[in-house]
Amino acid sequence: MAKISLEKVKHSYLAQPAEPEDYALKQIDAEWQDGGAYALLGPSGCGKTTLLNIISGLLVPSLGRVLFNDTDVTKIPTTDRHIAQVFQFPVVYDTMSVFDNLAFPLRNRGIAEAKVQERVQEIAGMLDLEHSLRRRASGLTVDGKQKISLGRGLVRDDVNVIMFDEPLTVIDPHLKWQLRSKLKELHKRLGLTMIYVTHDQTEALTFADQVVVMYDGTVVQAGTPVELFEHPNHTFVGHFIGSPGMNILPCEVENGTVRCAGHTVQTASSGRPRADARKTEIGVRPEFVRFDDHGFPVEIVKVDDLGRYRIVEVRYADQRVKMIVNEDLAIPSETPRISFDPAATRIYADGWVVN
Amino acid sequence: MRIHKWLVPTLYIVFLMLPIYWLLNMSFKNTNEILGTFSLWPLDFTLANYRKIFTDPTWYNGYLNSITYVVMNTVISVSVALPAAYAFSRYRFLGDKHLFFWLLTNRMAPPAVFALPFFQLYSAIGLFDTHVAVALAHCLFNIPLAVWILEGFMSGVPKELDETAYLDGYSFWRFFVKIFIPTIAAGIGVAAFFCFMYSWVELLLAKTLTSVAAKPIAATMTRTASTAGYELGLLAAAGTLTIVPGAFVIYFVRNYIAKGFALGRV
Repeated sequence: MAKISLEKVKHSYLAQPAEPEDYALKQIDAEWQDGGAYALLGPSGCGKTTLLNIISGLLVPSLGRVLFNDTDVTKIPTTDRHIAQVFQFPVVYDTMSVFDNLAFPLRNRGIAEAKVQERVQEIAGMLDLEHSLRRRASGLTVDGKQKISLGRGLVRDDVNVIMFDEPLTVIDPHLKWQLRSKLKELHKRLGLTMIYVTHDQTEALTFADQVVVMYDGTVVQAGTPVELFEHPNHTFVGHFIGSPGMNILPCEVENGTVRCAGHTVQTASSGRPRADARKTEIGVRPEFVRFDDHGFPVEIVKVDDLGRYRIVEVRYADQRVKMIVNEDLAIPSETPRISFDPAATRIYADGWVVN
Repeated sequence: MRIHKWLVPTLYIVFLMLPIYWLLNMSFKNTNEILGTFSLWPLDFTLANYRKIFTDPTWYNGYLNSITYVVMNTVISVSVALPAAYAFSRYRFLGDKHLFFWLLTNRMAPPAVFALPFFQLYSAIGLFDTHVAVALAHCLFNIPLAVWILEGFMSGVPKELDETAYLDGYSFWRFFVKIFIPTIAAGIGVAAFFCFMYSWVELLLAKTLTSVAAKPIAATMTRTASTAGYELGLLAAAGTLTIVPGAFVIYFVRNYIAKGFALGRV
C-alpha cells in the first residue's frame, strides 16, 4: 500500500508533440492517499485509461514523475510496481483453470502454496466462483470471466494499488450492483488503495470517497461527491454530475451586475470574470431553480413526471432551463416566472468558476 | 424432393472422389491389367506395388527426404514468423503497414522465377542437394504466409492479456512462451499446416535444388518408365502414399482449421 503522487505528468502518443492538443494528458498533478477509494470519472477519450496505464507503468509519461510513497517509480517496469489492474474487458488465461488463474499472481511472487489455497478460496467465495474453480476458464461466460479478472486483481494483499478500468461494463445490471457493493466492502475490510475508472456517475459516486473528474486531458476537479455536486469548479463537472445536469446559461457582466437575457441575476460569486474572458456563463442546478412571481418570464416546453418530482423544461429567448419541481408544488399555467437560488448560482468564465 | 436434396452433394463428392478412387484402384493392380483391361476394381488384387516402395531405397528415401525438408521448413517458418507477427500485431513502427503488405507480395511471383537464383546461389555455397536448401527456399513463400496467419490470430488476443501478465509478475519472454503461445496454439496449428502443405506439394524448387541425396518423392514419381518398362501400378501406389501425410496432418489440425479460418485470416 502506498501513497501515489503524480507530478506534472504529461503524455502524448505522438513522437514529437508540439501543440497542447497533441497531448492526451495535458498536465496532471494528483495525489492519491494510502487506503483511499477513488473514482476517476470522465467521458470516453478524456485520458482516464492513459492515466491508469501511467500509474501501472504500462506507459511511460512523456514528461513528469510518478511517485509511490515519495519514491520515483517513473522508470520502473510494471512487474516491479506491485500493482493490480482490472481491464474493461475480461482478460483470462484461457489455457488455465479458474483456480490457476486466480492463483497466478500469487504463485508468480513465490507465495507458499498453503497461503495461495487460502487466498484463492477466500476470493472465490466472495465472487461466488467456488463451484467453477476446477473448470477451464475458456468455457465461462463473459461475466464469469470478468469475475476472474476482478478476483485476480483482488487476490494479492500486498499491492500498492488496485486499479479498475471500467470493470463492470460487460456485467449485467443486477450483478453489477452486487459486485460494486462487494468491492466497496472489500475496500473497507482490506484498506487497499483503489482507483476506479468509470464514465458512469452513479458508479463513481457510490463507490468512491473522492471523485476525480477528468475532461479533455486535465483534472477539472477532485473532491467528495457532495463537493462536486454543490460546488462544481467547471461547467463540465456541473453538467456531467447530477441528473439532469447543471443549467449553463450565457450571461453578460457589466459594472458588476450579471444579466441573463436582460434580467439581473444574483449569484454567489463575489468576484467578477477577467475582462479578457471569451465566454461568461452562469451555472445553476435544476434543484435550485424555482417558480417565482418576481422572477423573469419563461415559457414551459415540457414536463416529465418522475413520481416524487417533476422535471420541467422551460424556455426564455433561445435558452432552455431544466428545473426540478416537487410533486406537491403546482406548476403555474399562465405567465410562469422563474428565479435562481442566489446561493447556488455561480459565474463561470471560459468554463471555470469565478468565486 | 428428399432425393433432390442429396443429389447435388452426392454428385459433387463422387466427382471429387473419383480420381482418388481410381488412383487407389490402380495401385492394387499390376501394370498389365491397367493397360490391358478396363475394370472398376482390381481383378487381380496385388500388394506388390506397395511392397516395392517400402523395400526399395530409391522409393522410400523420396518420402524420407520430403518429410525431412518439409518438417525443417515448417519449424523454421513458424519460429521465425512468431516474433515477426507479434511485432506487427502489437507495435506501430515506421512503415509497418507497407512492410506487412510487402511480405505478401513475395508470394505473388511464381516459384519458377526463383529457381535459377536459388540454384546458382546454393551451388555456389555448397548447399545444393541438401534438405536445408529446399527448406530454406520454401521459407521464402511460407514465412510471409505464416506471419499473415499468426498476425490475424494475435490481433484477436487483446493487448490487455500482455499487460495483465506483466502486472501479475511475468517478464516478456515468460509471458510469450508460457501464456501467449498456448493462447494462440490454434493459430500456430493453422500456420504450421499451411507451411506443411505448401512445402509438401511444391515440386519445382524441390526438384531443381536436389539431385540424389535429397530428392523428393514428387520428383521420384515423375519418372514414368524405368528399365522394366511402364510401372503404372507402382506410380499409383506412390501417389496414394503421397496423399497420406496431408490427410494425416489435416486430421490433427481439423478443429483448429475451422477455428482458424474464423479467427485468423488466410
